[in-house]
Amino acid sequence: MIFKPSWRSLLLSTTTVFAVGLSTPGAKADIPDENYQPVLAHLLGTVMPPKIDEFHAASEELTEGFRDFCSDPDNGGLEETRAAYHAAMDIWQEIQPWRMGPLVANGRDQHIEYWPDKHGTAARQFRKLMFDKPAAYTDPEQLSGASAALQGFPALEEVLFADDHGNQMIAADENGVFLCQYGTAIATNLGTLSGELQAEWPDFATAMENAGPDSMDYPSAKFAATDLYRALHEGLLIISTQKLARPLGENAEDARASRGESPLAGRSLRNIEHNLIGLFAIYDGTWGDIGEEGQGLAALIDNSLLDRSFKLNWQTVADTVADLPPSVAEVLVQSDGYATLSDLKGQIEFLTMLVENDVGGNTQLGGGFNALDGD
Amino acid sequence: MEYQRRNFLKLMGVGGAFTLLPVGLVRAATTPNPEDRAVYISASAGEHDDYYVSAFNASGKILFEQALPGRGHDIGLRPNHVDVAAVERRPGLYGLILDRHTGEVRAKLHCPEDRRFYGHAIYSNDGRYLYITENDFDHARGVVSVWDAEDSYRRVAEFDSFGTGPHELHLMPDGEHLVIANGGLHTHPDQDGRTPLNISSMEPNLSIIERRTGKLVHQAALKHDWHKLSIRHLDVAANGTIAAGFQYQGDLTDQVPLVGIWQPGSEIRPIEAPDNVQYRMRQYCGSVRFDASGQVFGISCPRGGLVTFWDAQTNDFLTHIAAPDGCGLAATNQAGEFVGTSGLGNGWRMDAIRRKRVELPDDSHESLHWDNHLRRIQA
Repeated sequence: MIFKPSWRSLLLSTTTVFAVGLSTPGAKADIPDENYQPVLAHLLGTVMPPKIDEFHAASEELTEGFRDFCSDPDNGGLEETRAAYHAAMDIWQEIQPWRMGPLVANGRDQHIEYWPDKHGTAARQFRKLMFDKPAAYTDPEQLSGASAALQGFPALEEVLFADDHGNQMIAADENGVFLCQYGTAIATNLGTLSGELQAEWPDFATAMENAGPDSMDYPSAKFAATDLYRALHEGLLIISTQKLARPLGENAEDARASRGESPLAGRSLRNIEHNLIGLFAIYDGTWGDIGEEGQGLAALIDNSLLDRSFKLNWQTVADTVADLPPSVAEVLVQSDGYATLSDLKGQIEFLTMLVENDVGGNTQLGGGFNALDGD
Repeated sequence: MEYQRRNFLKLMGVGGAFTLLPVGLVRAATTPNPEDRAVYISASAGEHDDYYVSAFNASGKILFEQALPGRGHDIGLRPNHVDVAAVERRPGLYGLILDRHTGEVRAKLHCPEDRRFYGHAIYSNDGRYLYITENDFDHARGVVSVWDAEDSYRRVAEFDSFGTGPHELHLMPDGEHLVIANGGLHTHPDQDGRTPLNISSMEPNLSIIERRTGKLVHQAALKHDWHKLSIRHLDVAANGTIAAGFQYQGDLTDQVPLVGIWQPGSEIRPIEAPDNVQYRMRQYCGSVRFDASGQVFGISCPRGGLVTFWDAQTNDFLTHIAAPDGCGLAATNQAGEFVGTSGLGNGWRMDAIRRKRVELPDDSHESLHWDNHLRRIQA
């Protein structure tokens, strides 16, 4: 791990300052189970549903945008459709780390976005698709039964941003007509998937909120809240070990922007920026103008200094990402680009450590004798 | 999933359909229940790095705690004898032979300097020999050591496990063969003895050897794409079906099977739960146990806080029951019923057929962190 001295000192100093006087988590009494219930109700019942609505609306707008563009394709329409793609992708990237319940049921998250694609499945299947141009792939219903790699955001990215596809759609040649129909079908399918998510979420949220000894799924509110803690923890791990580690490779010579997420749309880092927004909501309880500060996992932390320290560290990392260009490729071409991305990875790893030690410890959600140290 | 479960319930005689269960498995209300005399035994831990072998009865009442010099793992039961074998988890140096009724130490096993115990041991059916999985760490080679219980537990032989990082082993139903889960992970005591050193090249497998000669008779591995699935735990049904649980060493988001069924002589058949359960298994299985009928097996997933249940005849997922930090699993004498334990101190009776979980009534067992595996002793 390579830190720029400035980031290392900033993050560490913030922690050091606020760590003084903090008590050890192990010394605290058990948090009563009823204390977890309001956190579940707030995050799952108040905060998440409007965001799913937003995602569904963005998917529907994307579909409408595609239809409008394809009815009379031109450059302006292409740019508007690409903007609609980015808007839908922004909110998806905020929702994506909440990996639980209806989001992962029936492989839904993978159908929405099949990534990482370690074997290049999507690109290979896409080439074959363009060669065969099967009509089934222009029908949203039939598309929903196709390979996950061909029915979500990465496939849409191929349609909108790869090769000469934009010009082909504007020219409305044979490839362009198929791309338009296929892209509309993908967008429609995304609308269906987000609609299913919207429909299924309330029952899941209710089950989590009503956790108790009679439930075979969630026998306590604390156990249910563990899913939220894990989403926060694993969301950060996925950013560092996949979204950044994959394009960084073994060293600067091995770095490849194409191994990042959404490389064709040039938004690998923009995705991370939005991931951090969704993840912070789990901790803080606010997500844009939705929710209430301090009503996420932070509500379980009886230590204002630690809470301030964590939020400051998080803000530092969020600011770092916001100051970077949206794509990994744009950073890697800079002379210190590799070091910059390595710094960012180090900062995310630092946040992960804070989540494990401070959030996991103080919320009592990060433990487990067998879960942490089994064999 | 619901369809599968309905059909299964019919086969098991629940829900109004006729029963195919052997009469002996149906509890007679008027006769004493053997389960009332059952004893459950497991490695455990206290709050201050203190480790034990502990036993409790069917109500969950602690019967004894025997202190261990280090953290245990599984317990091997000597048939028709008071001995049980507690072998230190990897990289283990000690093994203790204890009295199953009192926990009294009856013999001590010392690991050779160039070997480390890996936590699992099993006796031959006649109780004469104890087999322990070990790591020959300088050669990245798994071995199975043989100890003669009738000769003061003298180490009398050592066989190749035909893989790296052997973990759980079981006797096959014929009593003459051992099936070994070679997890594929190379570790070395100089590097803490637990950190995997070969994830990119690991090659786990299931191997069956003759217990008297060490000769390899069957071996199977998963396809290469899944070579990071460490095959760690297994159980064997009376008909020779082997159920195995995997622990994935790759990325969090990789979609991989975590359970396999193996009929020796064929390929390992990977099976998966529905996505929302598969995801909650968190890429990690902790222990595997067949029920009394051999038709159902349970696989605990402590990282996800779940126990999953599977139909061994159709290879279908049946259901799951939440069990926070649950790992130890033992079959009761009832078809589809298990006792489970957790690192948080819980003890449950779990019914895979009716999807029920009930806390054991006596709370004395809640004072301990229950470790990876649980065994049932029929008194």
